[in-house]
Amino acid sequence: MTPTTSEQDLEACAREPIHRPGHIQPRGAMLVLDLETFSLAGASANAAKWLGPVSADIMKRPEYAGLLEALRTWRSGELAVFEWRGTLAGRPLQGVGHRSGQHIVLEFEAAPTEGMETLEARFPRLRAFAEALPAAGEGSALLDEIARFVREMTGFDRVLVYQFDPDWNGLVEGESGNGRLPSYLGLRFPASDIPAQARQLYTLNRVRIIADVNYAPIPIESFSPHLGPDLDLSLSVLRSVSPVHLEYMRNMGTHASMSISILIDGRLWGLVACHSAEPHSVPLQLRNVCDFAVQLAASEIAARQRSADAAERLAIGRVHGRLMAAMSGTRHWAVELQASGDALLELVKAGGAAIVAPDQALIRIGNSPSEAEITSVVEWLERSGENAVFATDSLVRELPEAEAFAEVASGLLAMPISELHTSWVLWFRPELRKTVRWGGEPHKLVREAGRIHPRKSFAAWQEQVRCEASRWTPAQIDGAANLRNTIVGIVLRRAEEVAQLAEELQRSNRELEAFSYSVSHDLRAPFRHIVGYSELLRERETGLDAKSQHYLDSIAEAARAAGQLVDDLLNFSHIGRTTIQARPVDMNKLVREVRHSLEFRTADRNIDWTVGSLPDGWGDPTLLRQVWFNLIENAIKYTGPREPARIEVGGEKRRDDVRFYVKDNGVGFDMAYKDKLFGVFQRLQRAEDFEGTGIGLALVRRILERHGGSISAQGEVDKGALFEFTLPIKADEASDV
Amino acid sequence: MSELRPILLVEDSPKDLELTLAALEKCQLANTIVTTRDGEDALDYLYSRGAHADRPEGDPAVVLLDLKLPKIDGLEVLEKVKGDARLRHIPIVMLTSSREERDLVRSYELGVNAFVVKPVEFKEFFAAIQDLGVFWAILNEPPPRSRFR
Repeated sequence: MTPTTSEQDLEACAREPIHRPGHIQPRGAMLVLDLETFSLAGASANAAKWLGPVSADIMKRPEYAGLLEALRTWRSGELAVFEWRGTLAGRPLQGVGHRSGQHIVLEFEAAPTEGMETLEARFPRLRAFAEALPAAGEGSALLDEIARFVREMTGFDRVLVYQFDPDWNGLVEGESGNGRLPSYLGLRFPASDIPAQARQLYTLNRVRIIADVNYAPIPIESFSPHLGPDLDLSLSVLRSVSPVHLEYMRNMGTHASMSISILIDGRLWGLVACHSAEPHSVPLQLRNVCDFAVQLAASEIAARQRSADAAERLAIGRVHGRLMAAMSGTRHWAVELQASGDALLELVKAGGAAIVAPDQALIRIGNSPSEAEITSVVEWLERSGENAVFATDSLVRELPEAEAFAEVASGLLAMPISELHTSWVLWFRPELRKTVRWGGEPHKLVREAGRIHPRKSFAAWQEQVRCEASRWTPAQIDGAANLRNTIVGIVLRRAEEVAQLAEELQRSNRELEAFSYSVSHDLRAPFRHIVGYSELLRERETGLDAKSQHYLDSIAEAARAAGQLVDDLLNFSHIGRTTIQARPVDMNKLVREVRHSLEFRTADRNIDWTVGSLPDGWGDPTLLRQVWFNLIENAIKYTGPREPARIEVGGEKRRDDVRFYVKDNGVGFDMAYKDKLFGVFQRLQRAEDFEGTGIGLALVRRILERHGGSISAQGEVDKGALFEFTLPIKADEASDV
Repeated sequence: MSELRPILLVEDSPKDLELTLAALEKCQLANTIVTTRDGEDALDYLYSRGAHADRPEGDPAVVLLDLKLPKIDGLEVLEKVKGDARLRHIPIVMLTSSREERDLVRSYELGVNAFVVKPVEFKEFFAAIQDLGVFWAILNEPPPRSRFR
């Protein structure tokens, strides 16, 4: 858990303008020159002690000629840092300079005395260090190597190497010490110890040193109206540090400190922090050697990181390949992923997973929370509007209720698949209980004089970390994103395949209908001829015997029947091809007309009609007339044996549709054959008992389907039948397929 | 009822031709029956040219025109006849094997006078031909001869 320093206090801390302290440490002296003219704009108050009397034209003095010349050369060149060695006011000095706004900041420190080793002498050790780096073991071995080298070079009592975690807490992973100061190896330091603006500064300026914690800051005096107290000293080596930092050092028991930034890809990866119990100074030259060594080490760290990341991505890519192959099967992608559950977990090294897809039941894999818990997580994700991969190593931080299942799902990696439907793949990681040793109680704040004070104790302070899982690596998060792209690709392709199949099916149907139409059309003529000629023959041959007559009649009958069949088929396929002219239809009128046209059938029959008042239907009157005709004709036909026959016609308007029916007390049918009733050419009665081609009901159903309606039938053998059909209420686009 | 004009029959199928003629014979109409076997032949007759250059003068009382014809089909004949001021008054009855909506619409657009689907049942076919023959050849009052040709 991150320490809970109050937000306000942290912000106040981060706002302190440490890059513009207006003071320097007394280790050296500073001159601020105008960038164009080299005239003196400012000087530290102790400059006279180091450099002799200070005046506006100091740079014009003969003693400064060499420095001035060097400065001019540097100013017209490419280097960011100016370096110089020389003697001023009788003192051997090392100087560095840099640009700051419209000024040049020159800083002087004492040049190393004869006793100290020259850079040349140190080079073999530097080279040895460089060679040892790639050979260093994994993890902390490399960092210990760095710590050892820096301590050897600088002579500090203790050198720590620490790495920042994603929350900017620092973990001490490498250390070298002589025992005078306590070991901090394995301790974690809260992010607030190095506030944001300090980290920013450390990224710009890699090395900083405080030779004596009890120094008296030296103010910078202005010699020009252009130089105010806001001189940016980010790149200065003598910059005075924040009093909070000095207090921190004292509390920690250190009198001198130096730190060198470890930068990787321009970001602060960690620090090399050096501490001593007594004041301790390190000359500029030596600081530069250490800086150089640390940058070498940073390259090695970066190279190892990249290589590990690449290896990880390769492994994930292989698992992804297996999943992709699995999903190219015929089943739904979610089902295929479930079948490859092991691979799915391995992809991101999760302990459990869940798949939510719109037309599937929720799928759980491995160790995952309950269905209800997963559903609540998904609902939360949907509400928060996530449409990219979401990763957390502590779900509780975002969703307090998740504590209930933190044991199995402290870490969550969630991948939304579609923007339109709720579909997700979730991975879970179990809680990793660990003990974190902080360098001092991180939550301990002392508020005094209106601001927080750093903690007094840095003794190891243990904290049990709960509800945290191991972090998701960038490679794993990318792996999830790639899987999502694959699934989306598959879903899209499936949809395309289905659409294409549907199109082919439609085309096939149309071709079939066109075919049946043309065949029927061409068959009519021959049947007509057969009937015609047999008639003519019959009229001519009056002397035929009964048998011959019968044969001739049979020929004509057969041809007639075939012709009727063809007509019915033509009619049937015609329905599929015409466009429906839909409008409100007076059903009462249609039924009247149909009864009238069937009068020749009912003339000598005793039929008891009950015809209710019918609501209007919506559709094509011609086709709907055909529906009534077929149904009523059937009712008349199949009540043939009844005395009296009872036929009832009615209809009613309902909420979503309009319903009509024809009921009779005829011979009925066996419900077991209900499904055959509406088939083309399906008959449930014998041909000699009841005439008909068996296409009438198929036609009725086809017409109703094209109107967006439906038909159903109920019957009982020898008791009668009830045919009900519905039509939609409004103009339904389904009527024009 | 003025003098009898011929009935022009345009039919390519020999069987249909025979059956139609048999039906017309039954009507015992006094009108002459002229048969042509394709569209070109029919137009030659109507324009009194080609093989029919020497035919007796006078327009037919009615043309019984089959839809499917070789060389020039029924619809084209219809179009030519109804598009010509000298011929368009001649009544044309289209006869066809089945009721294809396309043909129906097109025929009426071109100005056909009647459209009849040849029924399979011979009795009905026979009755249809008779009715047609009787109506157009006898009952119907044709346009006066003197205005044309």
